[in-house]
Amino acid sequence: MKRELLGVIDATTYHDDLEDLLTHRSLAALPFAGRYRIIDFVLSNMVNSGIRSVAIFPKMQYRSLMDHLGSGKNWDLNRKRDGLFFFPSPIVDFDGNKIGSFENFAANLDFFYRSTQEYAIITNCNTVFNMNFRPILDWHSRSGCDITEIHHKDGGSMEMYLIKTSLLIKLIETRNETGYTCMNDVVNDLQNLYSVCHYEYDGYAVMIDSIENYFSTSMNLLQSEVWQQLFPKDQPIFTKVKDEPPTKHVKGSEVRNSMIANGCVINGSVENSIISRGVKIGKGAVIKNCIIMQKCQIEENCYLDSVILDKDVKVEAGTHLSGTAQSPFVIRKGTQQGALMNS
Amino acid sequence: MAKKKCVAMLLAGGKGSRLNSLTKELAKPAVPFGGKYRIIDFPLSNCANSNIDTVGVLTQYQPLLLNSYIGIGSAWDLDRKDGGVTVLPPYAESSEVKWYTGTASAIYQNLNYLKQYQPDYVLILSGDHIYKMNYENMLEYHIEKRADVTISLIEVPWNEASRFGIMDTDEDLRITDFDEKPDNPKNNLASMGIYIFSWNILKEYLEMDERNPDSSHDFGKDVIPMLLEENKKLFAYPFKGYWKDVGTVKSLWEANMDLLSEDCDLDLFDHGWRIYSVNPNQPPQYISSDAIVKESLINEGCTIEGEVDKSVLFQGVTVGKGTIIKESVIMPDAIIGSNCLIEKAIVQEDVKVPDGTVIRSFDDEIILVTNEMLSGLYPAF
Repeated sequence: MKRELLGVIDATTYHDDLEDLLTHRSLAALPFAGRYRIIDFVLSNMVNSGIRSVAIFPKMQYRSLMDHLGSGKNWDLNRKRDGLFFFPSPIVDFDGNKIGSFENFAANLDFFYRSTQEYAIITNCNTVFNMNFRPILDWHSRSGCDITEIHHKDGGSMEMYLIKTSLLIKLIETRNETGYTCMNDVVNDLQNLYSVCHYEYDGYAVMIDSIENYFSTSMNLLQSEVWQQLFPKDQPIFTKVKDEPPTKHVKGSEVRNSMIANGCVINGSVENSIISRGVKIGKGAVIKNCIIMQKCQIEENCYLDSVILDKDVKVEAGTHLSGTAQSPFVIRKGTQQGALMNS
Repeated sequence: MAKKKCVAMLLAGGKGSRLNSLTKELAKPAVPFGGKYRIIDFPLSNCANSNIDTVGVLTQYQPLLLNSYIGIGSAWDLDRKDGGVTVLPPYAESSEVKWYTGTASAIYQNLNYLKQYQPDYVLILSGDHIYKMNYENMLEYHIEKRADVTISLIEVPWNEASRFGIMDTDEDLRITDFDEKPDNPKNNLASMGIYIFSWNILKEYLEMDERNPDSSHDFGKDVIPMLLEENKKLFAYPFKGYWKDVGTVKSLWEANMDLLSEDCDLDLFDHGWRIYSVNPNQPPQYISSDAIVKESLINEGCTIEGEVDKSVLFQGVTVGKGTIIKESVIMPDAIIGSNCLIEKAIVQEDVKVPDGTVIRSFDDEIILVTNEMLSGLYPAF
């Protein structure tokens, strides 16, 4: 098919800095903004750009990612032709931080042979942004470049590459002769045979690679300019649907400058925080500058400042926990925090 | 087609004329409720939670939104290879178009749908009520009692009894008398409009009723009295719990307000009995630093910069700065400007309320805010 894009998401990325949040999941499945996983942004962008075939290449710890994506139905990718493809890496030991590893793609070369889309866009999985790829495809095909690398106006590469599918296949096939191991090798080789162009993107975009920037990017959501750029009505971010009721603000609760997902029951006070689905906050509890993930239970009279609670954490009544913006206090998934544990 | 033990027939063609302009363009079962649901989500979720996987939904009045809302039933996990949801509109036969003239004729005209599944029992439901009920338990009761028909009943306030079908039973709960909307009710045990029929009885009596030119083809008025007359075994199934017929603007408002009380009998947070609905996929609600939210139920996609007190806000609602919303229900995607006051009102879907608008009720009436009403207030708008 002419002028169609194939979506390729490299979900092998891992950052040691995020270890506390990645013991049970891959980076792609990291919860973000109360009801999403990080991969929802790039995946929804692809769908909103008219991409109908998306291949995801994960590595290790992909149970939560698979559970999240399912058949792709929530992204309208459960199609008879094309749709969502999931290619877990058969190679255990390779450098996961090179986006677009040819060795990894090579294990599923048949998929690329079979794809009818003329162009492919290869991206990482951990960027928070809302971008339509269609204008880049137009720009790319007009420019006559072999490869377009998306750059951010404030920084360097966004680790996203637009390329003809046939050229991608050639790069994968010839990886042993050329020595190129990934897309990054190709675009950074000054001697290479291919013309590489940079497309400059000036919208909001952050690559999540540490607890500190996960925390600050989450807090940025509370600024309406950021919020409006990430969640415009005409380019929604899709995610796995949960059937939670609307959030109940109980008598005596107080909420300021916060984002709250569905299914929460709020008795205490919440300020400058991101609260995920199904969180229960007890009477007299104070939550400030926190990220509280799904189904956490915070009992009465707790005080939490600059804390990240991973999923299913239970905080017993009267517990005080504090971190800082540079180093938020992170509580791992499924644990229990007692008032006496940290005193 | 695989045989099914029990097939549900959901009557969803009602107009609900007392809901005024709320049902001008949609059937009553499609009326929004509880911050994210439509009324029909309750019986459909009850079916899904009661392991009833074959549901015929009978539509007639303003079916467009209802049809697209139900779709193939995936929201309620009712998109099945065998059975699942089937929308059943009235249809034309060789000589005439047959509208559904009553509840009984609606089922009669779809006997062929039922026959495909060779059911032992047929559960007849109304799409107009808000409640959580395990139909599987009612079916067990029906089988245990060896009943021909089982009708669920609920105690209603005496002053409302004349709005319902009122039943008399003996000690064994066998129904001895049934009065549809009596002027002078003998008791306050009302039919909830939920029937389980043994298939042979249903078929036989619907065919009989259809042949009767004097019948209005209604279960309560015609079919049930006929069964009683012939001494069939009709049993009452007592139901305890939250059940509301939201027939009027006021009762719709009240049912929404019920959800805000701390001891509400209708628990939407019960994970063992989830109420499913079509998910609009919107970002989490944003409560700004200027906002004040008290005792409210707020859905995803809302942006709140004003004050919201004892109210229910559906998805995608915007509340501007300096605005106060009190004891109100704001339906999906309504935009409330800044410095407004809205008290004891229901704001309809997609309505845009201009800055500085004051809407408040000085008596007990609940005001229905629509675009037409606002264009009356703001002729130039």
